[in-house]
Amino acid sequence: MKNALIILICKLISNISQLLNLGSGSTWPGHIALILNKQFIEQVIDNNKNLKIIVIAGTNGKTTSTALLKFLLEKSGKKVFTNSEGANLLNGVASTIIKQGDLFSKLKFDFAIFESDELNLPLLLNKISPDKILILNLFRDQLDRYGEVNTIALKWLKSLKKLTGKTEVFINGDDPQLYYIGTKLTQKVQYFGIEKKLMKLKEIPNDVDSIYCPVCLSMLKYHQLSYAHLGDFYCSSCQFKRGVVGDFSDKKVSYPMSGLYNVYNTNAILQLFESLKIVIPSKEGIQNEWLKDFTPAFGRQEELIYKNRKVFILLSKNPAGFNQSIQTVSEMTNKTKANFLIILNNRIPDGLDVSWIWDVDFQPILDVANNVYVSGDRVYDLNLRLRYENSKNIINTFENLSTAVESIVNKTKEGERLYILPTYSAMLEVRKILLGHKFL
Amino acid sequence: MYINIGWLYPDLMNTYGDRGNIIALSYRAKIMGIEPTVNKISINEPADLISKMDIIFMGGAQDKQQEIVNKDLKIKGVYLKKAINDGVPGLYVCGAYQFLGKYYKEANGNIIDGIGVFDLYTESPGPDVPRCIGNIVIESKLFPKIKLVGFENHGGRTYFANKKQAFATVINGYGNNGEDKTEGFFYKNSFGTYLHGPILPKNPELADYLIKKAVEHKMINNVGVGRDRPIKLKRIDNTWENKARDFVISKL
Repeated sequence: MKNALIILICKLISNISQLLNLGSGSTWPGHIALILNKQFIEQVIDNNKNLKIIVIAGTNGKTTSTALLKFLLEKSGKKVFTNSEGANLLNGVASTIIKQGDLFSKLKFDFAIFESDELNLPLLLNKISPDKILILNLFRDQLDRYGEVNTIALKWLKSLKKLTGKTEVFINGDDPQLYYIGTKLTQKVQYFGIEKKLMKLKEIPNDVDSIYCPVCLSMLKYHQLSYAHLGDFYCSSCQFKRGVVGDFSDKKVSYPMSGLYNVYNTNAILQLFESLKIVIPSKEGIQNEWLKDFTPAFGRQEELIYKNRKVFILLSKNPAGFNQSIQTVSEMTNKTKANFLIILNNRIPDGLDVSWIWDVDFQPILDVANNVYVSGDRVYDLNLRLRYENSKNIINTFENLSTAVESIVNKTKEGERLYILPTYSAMLEVRKILLGHKFL
Repeated sequence: MYINIGWLYPDLMNTYGDRGNIIALSYRAKIMGIEPTVNKISINEPADLISKMDIIFMGGAQDKQQEIVNKDLKIKGVYLKKAINDGVPGLYVCGAYQFLGKYYKEANGNIIDGIGVFDLYTESPGPDVPRCIGNIVIESKLFPKIKLVGFENHGGRTYFANKKQAFATVINGYGNNGEDKTEGFFYKNSFGTYLHGPILPKNPELADYLIKKAVEHKMINNVGVGRDRPIKLKRIDNTWENKARDFVISKL
């Protein structure tokens, strides 16, 4: 079947399903398109040779980085589309193409940015050869779904190796395993990282995976670390060590979001954006003037006003991400006491296994907490985890999330800020409560 | 009273939140009136440190990390085997459990020797056979009247002839091999198990059992130190622990 016809049919299906309220219609038009033509994605992309394709992969920061790159490109006058939230699978990518394509299967855009999760990156790269690919990081995440970090790294290396020389690769050079992958590639590779001054950890924390030398299997050493296994690493048994990374330390970047993890995300996007050699009118450079205006994606350091309280939501879905959220809020509160609501769900998008919360260090939150509330499907696991930190805090435990929200809001004075750290499905749920309707 | 908790390879064998077991042992020992000291014993620590431990714990990891640990266990394994045979209580989860057996047979037939203190072996069915993943509920004769819960995620299948040596019976889940309903292995005062979750916080009876055995073992070996006195440890209220456990059982 002609792809133009597939697009027409699937657009109709999508409209009807939205009309009849049969779900948001976000991924199943693509599902049907791929049944009608297995090569739908690659053929339509091939039919749009002027479209530049960027793929963003990694455990944490995909959505933020995608949003930031889209923001910068659009500011430069480019037309951009991305696969929407949660549409990481091939059928999500196909659905995005259906939505953005016209009836001649033309995508009238300058750039497509596809974010891809750990499992789907190899599948996506089987279909398309992007112009640029960004590998943000690789941490343990939903081990029951994604599998172990080493297995993923091997799969990534295999599929990156198959790409042609056209693809330019951007890799986190502070991650030993990812840096190693970079050294094995024949494509042009650039590394990003953060300046050593910002690396404050001296000892390797708990939430680490890639702390042995990928060359000789000795334990790695670090001059200093930023978080998890990211840092200025070296092997004392062989020559393997951190290389030169783009850290933008000479450019006085105004980072639009808090936390070290967002310094990484921003540096990654700045490096990728520079490589596009887009002439911009700004004298100050984008790193100051433009970044200031960036608003984060929903649930990622997003501030909502609810009953005159400032509710700050930080999506926290795996040990490395959670520990970064905790570090960020403990810096933000600046040692003044604050109220916290932590929500742990274990639905399909969160992973069924909640063992990982024991790799998170909650103590910094307990140190600055006035009131601690916990809720979610696995509220009692969270209660245990926090109590076992040996703190004096009372852990207010609510099975019902709405009750937890109302209760913590009552404990928070008007005009004051409260912090919510939810897993993915919990983030959608709590936003629905705060906004009064489902809003993505 | 103090106890030394030995945590083997915390930097390498700690993929699945198993650190929670160390947190639980320390937390509960303190409430019982015992001062715990956690000793991390990894590649760079001397092997004889193992002989000074009152409880030993080791968690699960990924294949590459296990390859590194396997090499190091050539020496430390001798000390570990002796400690287990001497009755030092211990908990060995997933990859650590497999190491204590006689061997691990990879899908390609390659045999990796274990330290052989547990009379069992493990086989990997290869990457095309699904891993054993999911919530697991078990019953153990050591802990009558209760069910124990956890989350398992393992590729290897473990087998042994004498089923009486199993730690528990599977009520729901896979256990040792998904075939014979056995879960884990129990020998002297040591437990091998596939249960993450981590196992101890939601199954406090097992945590307390290990602590009590550690105290007993310490007293027996310290001549004249209150050998005849019954050990009285402070009881702990397990309301929240039971709620967390009941949730997993209720989802069956």
